[in-house]
Amino acid sequence: MSLGKLIERLLQLVPVLLGVTLIVFVMMALTPGDPVQIMIGDQTITPEQEEALRRGLGLDRPIVERFFVFLGNAAQGDFGQSFYHRRPVADVISERLPATIELSLVALIVALVTAIPLGVLAAIRKNSIFDKLATVGSLLGVSLPGFWFGILLIMLFAVQWHILPVSGRIGYASEVPTITGFLLIDTLLHGNLPAFWDAVKHLILPAVTLGLPMTAILMRVTRTSMLEVLRQDYVTFADAKGLSRRRVLFRHALKNALIPTVSVAAIETGSLLGGNMIVETVFGWPGLGRLVVESIFLRNYPLVQAAVLLYAVIYVGLNFFADILYTILNPRVKL
Amino acid sequence: MTTLQRLLLASAMALGPVATGAQAADLVVGFTLDADTLDPANHRKRETETIIRNLYDGLLTRDANMVVVPEIAESMTQVSPTVYDFKIRPGIKFHDGTAMTAEDVKFTLDRVTVENAMEGVTSPRQSLMGPVASVEVVGDDTVRITLKEPWPILPAMLPNQQIVSKAFVEARGSEGIATAENGTGPFKLVEWRKGESVILERFADYYGGAADIPPVGPACVDRVIFKIIPESASRVAALLAGDVHIINELPAFSIAQVNANTGTHVMTVNGTRSFFVALNLEGEYFDDPLVRQAAAHAIDKNLLIDKILGGNAAPINGILSPDAFGASELPSYGYDPELAKKLLADAGFPNGIDIVMDTEGAFKDTAEAIASLLTKAGIRTTVAVGESAQLTAKWRVQGKAPKTGDMYFSSWGNGSLDPFDIFTPTHRTNDRGNSAGYANPAVDALLDAAATELDVAKRAGMYREAELLINADLPYLYLWVPQDIYGVSDRVSGWQPSADSRINLHDACLK
Repeated sequence: MSLGKLIERLLQLVPVLLGVTLIVFVMMALTPGDPVQIMIGDQTITPEQEEALRRGLGLDRPIVERFFVFLGNAAQGDFGQSFYHRRPVADVISERLPATIELSLVALIVALVTAIPLGVLAAIRKNSIFDKLATVGSLLGVSLPGFWFGILLIMLFAVQWHILPVSGRIGYASEVPTITGFLLIDTLLHGNLPAFWDAVKHLILPAVTLGLPMTAILMRVTRTSMLEVLRQDYVTFADAKGLSRRRVLFRHALKNALIPTVSVAAIETGSLLGGNMIVETVFGWPGLGRLVVESIFLRNYPLVQAAVLLYAVIYVGLNFFADILYTILNPRVKL
Repeated sequence: MTTLQRLLLASAMALGPVATGAQAADLVVGFTLDADTLDPANHRKRETETIIRNLYDGLLTRDANMVVVPEIAESMTQVSPTVYDFKIRPGIKFHDGTAMTAEDVKFTLDRVTVENAMEGVTSPRQSLMGPVASVEVVGDDTVRITLKEPWPILPAMLPNQQIVSKAFVEARGSEGIATAENGTGPFKLVEWRKGESVILERFADYYGGAADIPPVGPACVDRVIFKIIPESASRVAALLAGDVHIINELPAFSIAQVNANTGTHVMTVNGTRSFFVALNLEGEYFDDPLVRQAAAHAIDKNLLIDKILGGNAAPINGILSPDAFGASELPSYGYDPELAKKLLADAGFPNGIDIVMDTEGAFKDTAEAIASLLTKAGIRTTVAVGESAQLTAKWRVQGKAPKTGDMYFSSWGNGSLDPFDIFTPTHRTNDRGNSAGYANPAVDALLDAAATELDVAKRAGMYREAELLINADLPYLYLWVPQDIYGVSDRVSGWQPSADSRINLHDACLK
């Protein structure tokens, strides 16, 4: 892809993000529920005090004005103050984002590492017992609700066998000064192997829970595309040429079969980042998903707006990345 | 191990409980929500206050029985109906080693009560301090609070305000102290891992805390960790696995499991939140007192408390918790579905009525149990689940819009256990929490008079009178006050749950 094309694609993102901003802003404003009333909760308050609170949150101004102020500030990287944390939203989000990204990436790796071999095996042993088990397994993987599967894992591995911790990112006794915010990297940079191992142990259950539905989807995709590729003439030709089965499968078939898997994986990663609220709640994982859902219920407008915008950027970015990856893997396709 | 060593060890162990504060131990609390901020003046959440109050102390506090006692104040004197003097205890240090003075107390209270005092912003906790006119330092060690009008619940509300260091706040600013602390409490902050844990350690120079709440002295445990586990099932699992020692909000259905597990038990304390069903008095059916009485007779409170709440709640016949100021015995509408049907027929509905009960997702099960009892008595009830903010907007219209809906299963908290905080908002005409749309000038007059009445007996009498009026009018079906339920490791000693949901870990030890 040429540089011009790349810039053109990047410029296309601008209206998308503006649209997302507008939609989120309007949706939050139209949703019933007054942030001030929610904040006061079960307390008595005089009308003057209520007004002061409203003014303090900037909610006394008309919505159109608030939107343009938000837009203007956002363009300069200022997303306002979180109603509850009373600090810049950007700070609050950046504290929680690394945990979400780390969990999502590890879940993605877990999914890819298990899904691709299983999918390939299921395809080459089509209709065997293994294939049928894999089909049932993938159906289960997509259907098992995360909160149920997560609790089940906790009951077995933490309560019953005491092998893994119930919740959190790392034990409170491990001290890891933040460098990147990604604990697996920070612990290694500090050369603190026990802390690294501690972080790994904390990651296993949430990553497996989060990665399970994706594993199931990717396995199905890999199996289907592998079967399709195996039916292609060039594979039959390679077989007929007398190439070893292994060479045919891995050099000729798999490379092409992986194209849909990779693009599905890239897009699904977006859902991983956005959709791990349940896993974060079950495992007390200090990520962004949990924070955003809490903030929606509290009508913490600035935080929700900034977070949704961030999700949109990530999602659009991943789609863009998937497109580029697709052209690299499949030179026949041009953007 | 030699015999001598064994003997030494045995005697050391026997001495253990006497030598408090000497045990090397980390106490871990599995807690539902992280703090929003560590700034005592800049939040509106109970959970945030629970964490902050282990770092910061207040002028006054409450003991485990909810009695208000001096903490940083040595004594409190009411000089006149609107003037209170607080003599500050000498020798109290902030965590940075500086001495706490009356100036710090004045600064703290000004920051909360004066408009725009926090760098141009008004504290969200301003309304919790009532009609404060001014805060002044009198002499070296006395702080005087002057009110615009009498407000007898000031002492009950003061435990919710924690004293900050003037120098620290001025140096760091409001944004700075959102994530750092310099309190006078029993623990100081080691690290706050946002969304995951708050790690505290014992403050060695602690003045000891409230003189009326023994033991007085530094905290018993070395470190306290609030580990944030929002999901109840995971919190229970963490307790059973031994990862944590105390968990809050134990679901009633997990009580048996925690009690049956070796090494853990359940502790309860009377809560402060009253549950009720608001009846839309402007609605199609519940404008008729007979229909309201029918609904009251249709509900078997004891059955619901037994089956749904595991017996962990106190039934109420008015809005007040049995522990609240001014609470008294009230007439009860006994469970009698036949009488309910008869009342419905008398009201002109011999074939019953069809209605909808709104509630939040968290209370769906309870609401459905209530609905099935109502249905049996001819009030055919469907439960509609909504989101809290949305339901608040629909039901608590404060007279600004016509009210829609039939019934709303809801609750109101009363952390101060003073009726001012619950009776007025839920029953005064067009007040914030009046979801029934109740308007009774006699009740309004009583509530207004009681809010400023200083004679304790007279004030209690006014609330009693108001309770009798609402008990007869039935704008709500008054249900129960659930207990707060905690799961606790057998290793924990010296700790007691408190009705204001405060988890005060100063006295907790770990075996």
